[in-house]
Amino acid sequence: MADRPDAPKRLRDYGLQSERLLWPTKGPSRFEEELGVENLERALGLTTLEKAVRWAQTKSMWPDTFGLACCAIEMMSIVSSRYDLARFGMEAFRSSPRQADLLIVSGRVAHKMAPPLRQIYDQMLEPKWVIAMGACASSGGMFNNYTILQGVDRIVPVDIYVPFCPPRPEALMDGIIRLHEAHQAGVPPAYERREVAT
Amino acid sequence: MTVAPEKSARSMRDWPIVFPPPYEGSRIPPRVPTILDVPADLAATDDILQINFGPNHPSTHGVLRLIVDLDGEQVVGLNAVIGYLHTGFEKTMEQKTWWKCVTYPERIDYVGYQNAELVFVLAVEKLLSLEVPEKATWMRTLLCELNRIHSHLVFLGTSALELGAISMFWYCFRERETILDLYEMVTGARMHTRYFQVGGLAEDIPDGFHAECRKFVEWMPHALDDYLALLDRNAIWLERTKGVGVLSAQDAIALGQSGPNLRASGVDWDLRRDQPYLAYDQVDFRVPVYAGGDVYDRYRVRMDEMAESTRIVDQCLRRLERMDGRPWIADDRKVVLPPREELHTSMESLIHHFKIVTEGFRVPEGEIYVAIESPRGESGCYLVSDGGPKPWRVHFRAPSLVALEATATCMSDALVADMIAVVGSLDAVMGDTDR
Amino acid sequence: MSWAVLPGFVSVREAFGETTVTIERERIRDACTRARDDGFTFLADIVTTDYLGWGDKGVSGYIGTGNIGTGLGIGGGRDLHQPSTQGYQALPAPKPKRFSLSYHLLAMEQPPRRVRLQCWLDEDEPVQSVVSVWPTADWHEREQFDLMGVRFDGHPNLVRLLMPDDWEGHPLRKDYPIGGEPVRFSDAE
Repeated sequence: MADRPDAPKRLRDYGLQSERLLWPTKGPSRFEEELGVENLERALGLTTLEKAVRWAQTKSMWPDTFGLACCAIEMMSIVSSRYDLARFGMEAFRSSPRQADLLIVSGRVAHKMAPPLRQIYDQMLEPKWVIAMGACASSGGMFNNYTILQGVDRIVPVDIYVPFCPPRPEALMDGIIRLHEAHQAGVPPAYERREVAT
Repeated sequence: MTVAPEKSARSMRDWPIVFPPPYEGSRIPPRVPTILDVPADLAATDDILQINFGPNHPSTHGVLRLIVDLDGEQVVGLNAVIGYLHTGFEKTMEQKTWWKCVTYPERIDYVGYQNAELVFVLAVEKLLSLEVPEKATWMRTLLCELNRIHSHLVFLGTSALELGAISMFWYCFRERETILDLYEMVTGARMHTRYFQVGGLAEDIPDGFHAECRKFVEWMPHALDDYLALLDRNAIWLERTKGVGVLSAQDAIALGQSGPNLRASGVDWDLRRDQPYLAYDQVDFRVPVYAGGDVYDRYRVRMDEMAESTRIVDQCLRRLERMDGRPWIADDRKVVLPPREELHTSMESLIHHFKIVTEGFRVPEGEIYVAIESPRGESGCYLVSDGGPKPWRVHFRAPSLVALEATATCMSDALVADMIAVVGSLDAVMGDTDR
Repeated sequence: MSWAVLPGFVSVREAFGETTVTIERERIRDACTRARDDGFTFLADIVTTDYLGWGDKGVSGYIGTGNIGTGLGIGGGRDLHQPSTQGYQALPAPKPKRFSLSYHLLAMEQPPRRVRLQCWLDEDEPVQSVVSVWPTADWHEREQFDLMGVRFDGHPNLVRLLMPDDWEGHPLRKDYPIGGEPVRFSDAE
């Protein structure tokens, strides 16, 4: 039976070493008989462990409560019922950074607040992501002065920057979804990519 | 809505204090008014545990740091450290022209943002002696009262959340979303609207706003009934808020408290009624005053204020519905941009437009202090102008800073869990505290 | 109340509907005590203003007149007879010393009374603290010390409030730079 170009992939095409391949004369297994399918490949979803783990991580990326200023109020509104963050599995805002995956820096970071921010980031366990929410966290925003850190990427590596002042809840959600997609596609978290501030 | 207790004849002599005090004397710490010191006999033992409710904490509103000394569960020492959100508003605004400055005050009190914007704009208009058209005044009143409801909803949602009444958060934010929809319809932005200009409003009120606002006004009393039903006879809520964080009227005035914190301590003082600005002298509203000075009374004052604000919004709507087609910004071309159509026909308008946009308008030399009743209390703007296009000195009187000064006094005899209730009830916004 | 009964009274000025009473720096606590006893029980705010460089740059351009558009006379308040400047620079009135320290007081009465007690000081001149008069002055004075460097004698806890504890300098002074970073392709604003 010649393989047509649109034929479904066989197990051996995946490079798998299964009993069914190594013992060609052995008929279908009991499992296959019970399934009642001709091609086992049609009935199974195949993936790699990394992809499965990444899928699980994206579907339950718990944020840390790091609301600083006005953006924190909009961050609270994505947890509220209209822009429901629970559909992404993220409504559990953890107070302890030890239990959190995602740090949403929402608001302006004063120089007095920078050491606590870095300490919180250090206390988080890998893998961890940072979203700089709002103009002030991304670049200092409208405050270019003696006291505001001009962008939190000076002290922590940032994965996603969400602009506006403050971002609409949908904008923040867009940023979160992009983070999920990036992570699902295999983009490593920022601390692996950037050489600064790891 | 329950009626506040009857005011006694004796207390009317001491107006504005209208109720007898919940405790005699003063509980303000003697050495430093804002630091609760550990008593000497306890400090000598090894039983005191000093812990840090650090700037990143789920229950402190924003970045407030409390260094707390505990004897078991009892709080015996308290020191509040602020400054983690110091943004340098005042110095930054000295670098910007008057027009550009208007975007900054909103971010100071970022929950009562419309009121923060209002106080700065009122101060500049007073220095300019600029008269604002009636429509703009009424619309400003309406938006500021919507903002008051918004601020109290955020207070209620977050404070209840911290005490464990998690459902309140979702209910309050549901109404908050409606208010933000109204803001977005009028101004284009949910928060930080930049809708108030020096001279009036940025744009006319859009069609359809009156109908939407009317729907909100009709729905809001039902929402308030929902909140009361959830909280007001809830035994846990009453246990955690009644008798906690008591502040007498004398201490409150000495500590400079204002707004709901002051009215919950039995002081009948509201700048909207006693020193009216905008259109408050033409609307009818009650000022809730309660006697106990505890967390429960502060919550009740804010609940009642939400009901009163809804009534004020209703009255403003009735007036605004008859003002279609009237001007929404002052006509002074030295300060306000001329309408765009005029730029095609009038040379003077073109020159004015050019001068205002490039140099900025100039405000006569002088200093002024304007105070309004923001949702947090007396919010003030002190302005010094040298006659030029930029402010010389801007200072904002922050009611949240003053509210946090009262933390030590309120915590005279309290447990750790009460501290969360007290800090929540003082309703301090850290952007307003640190500026 | 006649303002002259305040200890250290220098002068009184009315402008924009407000009263500003100038007090000698050394007597400010006595003046505040007297004001509090007279009914000003509420201290709203303590503000310091730095007038370094005041009047160095003249203000030119048109000063502004009444309303042109509708001719209804709304928006006045500025003198119609003030010449518009073509080459003439209007300088603001000079100030006696570098810093002005303003205490905004409120008497909760009907009608309410507001007053601004103001004293003038140079750098390094201390002022008596009014924490014993109004306890709320605690953090206001700490903030002014932190941001402007005014020393308050008798304050029980005069340490920095808003800036980090090891910060050097007083940021709101006029000779302290705005800080921040240069942004490409933008001018001073």
